[in-house]
Amino acid sequence: MKDPFIVFWAVMIFGSIAWYGFLVFYVGFSAGREILELVRVLDKASR
Amino acid sequence: MNLALLDWIIIVVYLVGCLAAGIGMRKFVHGVEDFAVAGREMRVNLGMASLAATELGLVTVMYTAQLGYEKGFAGAAIGVIMCLAMLLVGGTGFVIEPLRNAGVITIPELFEKRFSKRIRWLAGLFVALGGLLNMGIYLRLGGEFLVHATGLPPHWLEWVMSGLLGLVLLYTALGGMLSVLVTDYLQFLVMGSGIVVTSVLVLENIGWDNLLASLHSAWVGARSGSSPPAAHPFNPFHRSSFGWGYLVWQIVFQIAVATTWQTTVSRVLAAKNADTAKRMYRRTAFYFVGRFLLPGLWGAAAFVYFTQHGGLPEGLTSLTAMPHYLGTLLPVGFLGLVIAAMLAAEMSTDSGYMLTWATVIYNDIITPTLASPLSPRSQLLLTRALVLGIAMFLLFYGLWYEMPGDAWDYLTVTANIYLGSVFTLLVAGLYWPSANSFGAGAALVLGAVGPVAFLLLGRKYTIAPEVAGSSSFALAALGMIVGSLATSSKAAES
Repeated sequence: MKDPFIVFWAVMIFGSIAWYGFLVFYVGFSAGREILELVRVLDKASR
Repeated sequence: MNLALLDWIIIVVYLVGCLAAGIGMRKFVHGVEDFAVAGREMRVNLGMASLAATELGLVTVMYTAQLGYEKGFAGAAIGVIMCLAMLLVGGTGFVIEPLRNAGVITIPELFEKRFSKRIRWLAGLFVALGGLLNMGIYLRLGGEFLVHATGLPPHWLEWVMSGLLGLVLLYTALGGMLSVLVTDYLQFLVMGSGIVVTSVLVLENIGWDNLLASLHSAWVGARSGSSPPAAHPFNPFHRSSFGWGYLVWQIVFQIAVATTWQTTVSRVLAAKNADTAKRMYRRTAFYFVGRFLLPGLWGAAAFVYFTQHGGLPEGLTSLTAMPHYLGTLLPVGFLGLVIAAMLAAEMSTDSGYMLTWATVIYNDIITPTLASPLSPRSQLLLTRALVLGIAMFLLFYGLWYEMPGDAWDYLTVTANIYLGSVFTLLVAGLYWPSANSFGAGAALVLGAVGPVAFLLLGRKYTIAPEVAGSSSFALAALGMIVGSLATSSKAAES
């Protein structure tokens, strides 16, 4: 049987690559919308 | 020089885009509240992007790769502990919930409400001192990466550092937290893409089976005495790796970071409410595993690569091996993307940190000493001048200070100058009714003893970082408990 530490690190490494890839798209889309909303609120407040 | 025309185009487009977005936000800054905490309008996904971008700097990539080079995958155990700490704090709201509900701009401001004005000032001084010393090596390590990965002549390092800092300074001083949030978002996208692409290319280049077998054989060779001493590459609990003592200290340290580290907490304070802050923590938690593990993977791959190619070339160290390896590995176009990604990492961290420490100096060291409050215009001007002053400090400190030991150890110990004591003050202040300002003062002073001794005497005498760090937490807690209990009647009278 494989060393449990190696199995653990393999899951963490491939999980991290997948998670980072997902976050770039998910946060890229949703945080982009939040920035537009933030700018709208600040613009209204500064008028 | 490793960069081709396409690489330069990618880098220049990224830099110009970032600068334009950052400077564009300055028109929304009308006061210190907008400048320091973005008018408290930040929502959860933008908070995630900003927190992730700020806490993953080029300096992080360098020291985590160094840990990967020296300790293999086991070096990323700290990232796993950090992830668990973020989940714990994000799940329970421990410290961050009452802190956000208090409506303060910085942590020391809370101490004035709970303890006294003097404690706020003293805590501000320790927070700024620890934070600035900690940040002092960022530029040098960042510059080392760029010089080694791009093949620029080493004497360009100072110019690269100065130019990069100049760009960051421009948009941070003008737009404050609003510029930092927007540029962090862009930097998060570029950095995230670069990290994924680099990790895939590294795995493809070195081969998964080859990586595991080579790390294992280096460890076996070291045990039999046929190769230099090496740490266990997979088991962080092994005494040749971190060992139990170090990991237990890291559990306490990372909980303190999640609740007390001012740049992390500034995202909590800029969040719309406490629930947003908690969700931001929970969703960002696993990101911190990759923050250590993916650059650690590059460092481990660099170790295997150089071991199989005649050893580390002259002039390279465990710190500079990884960027040198990437410089030889990445093809045209990808190198430009990775350099842009690493510039993004450096810039988002520098901007977030400069803003945070300037805000602490303004809010907690200068403001409490003023006889009458400054006008909003003067407040803004002063905070911007402080950002400029911090940039100058970084430039000069980064050039001459030589670290005693690993980059990671230096960073944890300097952070501990205030982490141990301020964490104690926060926990006691929020959850222990008997805590008073005498105990708080004793905790602040005693908590700084261990880390300062490590910085001043660490070269002359061998002081283990976990001893310097854990003594800081223990002495701060002792100071708080003994100081508060011994003076409880005096505090009640006053």
